Amino acid sequence: MIFITVGSMLPFNRLIETMDAWAARHPQQAVFAQIGDGSYEPRHMDYARMVPGPEFRARIAAAALIVAHAGIGSVFSALEFGKPIVLVPRYADAREHTTDHQLHTANWLRTRPGIVVAERGDDMDAKMEQARHLQADESGFSSAAPAPFIAAVRQLILT
Amino acid sequence: MKRVLAISSGGGHWTEMRRLMPVFEGLDVTFASVRPDDAADVPGHRYYAFSDFSRFNKRGALRSAMQIIGIVRKVKPEVVISTGSAPTLFALASARLLFGARTIWIDSIANVDRLSTSGRLARFVADDWLTQWEHLASPKGPRWLGAVL
Repeated sequence: MIFITVGSMLPFNRLIETMDAWAARHPQQAVFAQIGDGSYEPRHMDYARMVPGPEFRARIAAAALIVAHAGIGSVFSALEFGKPIVLVPRYADAREHTTDHQLHTANWLRTRPGIVVAERGDDMDAKMEQARHLQADESGFSSAAPAPFIAAVRQLILT
Repeated sequence: MKRVLAISSGGGHWTEMRRLMPVFEGLDVTFASVRPDDAADVPGHRYYAFSDFSRFNKRGALRSAMQIIGIVRKVKPEVVISTGSAPTLFALASARLLFGARTIWIDSIANVDRLSTSGRLARFVADDWLTQWEHLASPKGPRWLGAVL
């Protein structure tokens, strides 16, 4: 199963259209998409507008591959479950987000194991093929922040 | 026991807050975010939902502000901690004004190249103004103490 998510805030038709076309070319692949408020409704894959938190995590856990906007929530979800992820950054000039910070997030993360970045204009078939061979090597990834940062923030609260 | 309000928008902001959970061990903490379902992420804690807004939907700002100030008045926090975004600035400002709360802003790790707009505004309402990127820290602030990753 491939799980696609646009996150919880803004629609992202470009990602959903691209992946719907990909799903049409790969009918043997089971694909599920969380599409948010997007106006484009997929025809070649199952979808939901919103997926509650626990179900979202269950779908991540069950997926072989995640395809997502380059949002931090999606990135951490994939890392916590040790799943490879294709990151599709949103662009501000296309009003896909308010700023280009997703491009910065993608640039920062692109060298991390288990992460492939698909920018605007990239060939999605090639990116998906590349991601299919990935092993996310994040078995020891914690769901909590590093202990020194936890301690530092706690100190701020207690003083 | 310190009374803490931990507040964030949804999506990645809430994910970053959840990664800070060990910070709150043994404290009297109330959480607030935008999805009522997300109460399930913080079992055993009080949770309030407020409505979000963004630059694409500015009209929601007033409603969001009223809801957040309502939450602050209920919780009467001694400390408010936020992982963004813009709506939570209302929580920092009102808690400081109404209850003299200590306020902490942790700019999202997603802001790699520069602080978010709300992150830059946070300097005016945050006692502790933090970035998660060392290269964005400066002597006049924001400070860098680490990151959620």
